[in-house]
Amino acid sequence: MEFWKDSDEAVRTIVKLQEEAFKDPDLGPALKKVNQLILYDYTESGPGCAVWVDCRNGQLSCGAGDPPGKPDLVLSLSADDAHRAWSNKLNPIVAITRKKIRVKGSATGLLKLAPKTKRTAEIYTQLLKDLNMADKILK
Amino acid sequence: MKGNTGKIVNVDLTAGRIDIETLPEEYYRKYIGGSGLAAKLFWERANFKADPLSPEAMLMFMNGPLAGIRVSGASRSSVGGRSPQTGHWGDSSVGGYFAPELRYAGFDGIVIKGRASQPSFLLIMDDKITIEDAAEYWGKGTEEVTRTLKGKYGKNYRTLVIGPAAENGVRFTLILNDGHNTTGRAGYGSLMGSKNLKAIVIKATKKERTLAEPAAFEAMRKDLNERIKGSLAANVLHEDGTAANLLGGMFIGDVPIKNWTSNYWEEAGEALSGGSLTSQYLTRRGACAYCEIACKRIVEVKDGPFAVPEGPGPEYETIVSFGCLMGSIDLAATCKAGRVCNDLGMDSISCGGTIAWAMEAFERGDLTLSDTEGIELKWGDMDTVINRILPAIARREGKLGDLLAEGSVGAAKKIGKGMDYTAHSKGLEAPMHDPRGGGQGMALSYAMSPRGACHVADPMMFMEMGGKYYPEIGFELILDPRSTENKALAATTSVALGAIENSACFCNFADGEVTIPDWLNLFNYVAGYDWTAEDMMLAGRRVFFLKRLINYRYGLTAGDDDLTPRMLEPARDGEVKGVQVDLAKMKKDFYKLMRMDPDKGIPTREALEDAGMAEEAQQVW
Ligand code: SF4
Repeated sequence: MEFWKDSDEAVRTIVKLQEEAFKDPDLGPALKKVNQLILYDYTESGPGCAVWVDCRNGQLSCGAGDPPGKPDLVLSLSADDAHRAWSNKLNPIVAITRKKIRVKGSATGLLKLAPKTKRTAEIYTQLLKDLNMADKILK
Repeated sequence: MKGNTGKIVNVDLTAGRIDIETLPEEYYRKYIGGSGLAAKLFWERANFKADPLSPEAMLMFMNGPLAGIRVSGASRSSVGGRSPQTGHWGDSSVGGYFAPELRYAGFDGIVIKGRASQPSFLLIMDDKITIEDAAEYWGKGTEEVTRTLKGKYGKNYRTLVIGPAAENGVRFTLILNDGHNTTGRAGYGSLMGSKNLKAIVIKATKKERTLAEPAAFEAMRKDLNERIKGSLAANVLHEDGTAANLLGGMFIGDVPIKNWTSNYWEEAGEALSGGSLTSQYLTRRGACAYCEIACKRIVEVKDGPFAVPEGPGPEYETIVSFGCLMGSIDLAATCKAGRVCNDLGMDSISCGGTIAWAMEAFERGDLTLSDTEGIELKWGDMDTVINRILPAIARREGKLGDLLAEGSVGAAKKIGKGMDYTAHSKGLEAPMHDPRGGGQGMALSYAMSPRGACHVADPMMFMEMGGKYYPEIGFELILDPRSTENKALAATTSVALGAIENSACFCNFADGEVTIPDWLNLFNYVAGYDWTAEDMMLAGRRVFFLKRLINYRYGLTAGDDDLTPRMLEPARDGEVKGVQVDLAKMKKDFYKLMRMDPDKGIPTREALEDAGMAEEAQQVW
């Protein structure tokens, strides 16, 4: 992997990002509106390398590995491309068109989140700094 | 001939004569079908001096080679001719069920000239074609006429019907297929109305068609359908319709607000989005023939001032043009306005654009109460729009109705004010995508499109989003919507692909998954064109060139490849505040790359000759 030491580091960081996003006054409510169980499947970068986000029924939770039920939406990509995407350095439509991201399930929730990519990237950058991973910040 | 039938129906309504003509096979290989073939026939047969609403004017309904092949998105058709709205070449694509029925009946197109002595309709039952009396339908709305015709002949008879607005010569009128699908743009309803032709009714008894390589085609069909159905676009369009991404569009500044004076209104993005339509008013989804995406909405507004019974619902363009473009966030009103526009037979984009323009004109004092005969035009007053203005326009009633029936450009000309705040190119009101947010390349598309401002003339909008790329022909650019970089270069591919899509009559919501090899297989397996990628792209360029030549003969030059001051001014707010379109630079580069004359706006003699258009070159150079 280009950016991560191992899949464990990738998963831990991205789960932490979700937790930070839940607390954000802008992103938290936006995530609740998605009302889906989403699986970010990074297993092409290593076994078990996956993060789920459950935004159903007005609740927000997340975790690593297998999701608590059948996901409404699965996004499969590499952990490196995930890093680019969370950093707002990978246009998701371009990535989907070029098959770098594969989408399975109902993608309508994604559209609700699309306008929030900039804010998510801000939180991600701050998080990387807080976790002493500033070297991973993409310019 | 394979794929195509090779036959068109020529109808002379003045003489009451109908004959079947076989077209040379070469026409199809050179001009593909659909709007490309229509342009070819127009070029060689039209009287360029004829007024678009005169009996001599040609009205053409033309299929592409893929009609009826049971592939999602492949069964649209085109209407073409001299546009009564703009006065130059125009075409408009329509979904629904007309195209396959025409193909199964044995025809690729219908070319109509003349004027019937009384209201008439055309009845096609396989190869039996008659002109019937339509006196009882004249003056009636499309809903009632469609229902009556289907009641009389059968539900599976396919109908094309015009509304009262078209009978009254309103500039921006549509033709409605099966009560839901519109040939919205460029005003062909009025062309049909000027011929005293209220409807076309068609039924084929067999569903057969001959293909060049049936086994090879069948092998690819299933896979292609699966890919189309499984795509992100299909997923989203099915779920929430064409307005699915309205909120996203609002954030990037793509959605025009209050006659293009603003690019950001978050509340409108939420209230008018496809998701809101789904949760509040959607009852069912609908589809064009053989399309598994089913992006069409069937809605019902149960109560309130804009209650509408279950029926066709609004798509993105109607939602924006009768929503935030007029300063309204009332989604029910867009459902009602769309239905009323369809029933009266008016294009919701041009109609909405014209009314929004009038609202601004009223606010500025360029239109007064005396001009409107006491009607106040206020932002967001949808009651007045739906219950007073729309019927007045359709009947050209009163000063205001008659004025707005001319469209925003005609109305601004008439009052001698307000041209600078119209939003159009070549006389066609712009669709509901603002290039300042949606992408600079789209501005180039709007300006270059032969029919006038159009986001579906070519796939630039999707290319800028990142949703389309074609590595097999070397198009791998990643475009930044805000920049002009590489846009002219991208447009050289885009205009050719747009001409291919529109001549094949393939839906551009569905063809994101259609790769260059898929396109070739479709044309070669279905119609036996025996093309290489180069041949195909050349055919696309040829169609684009020919439409430009037609416009040139109507007096259009490079100076007409333009947008209005309103569209070119810096955006006033939102994410795109201060962003301006740099059209001049993109235009200059585009002409050069396409080998087009930068003054005349047409291809050079050499470019035409290289495209196999030596005869056409001789007529213009
Ligand atoms: S995507 Fe929608 S408009 Fe296009 S063919 Fe399918 S149903 Fe018709």
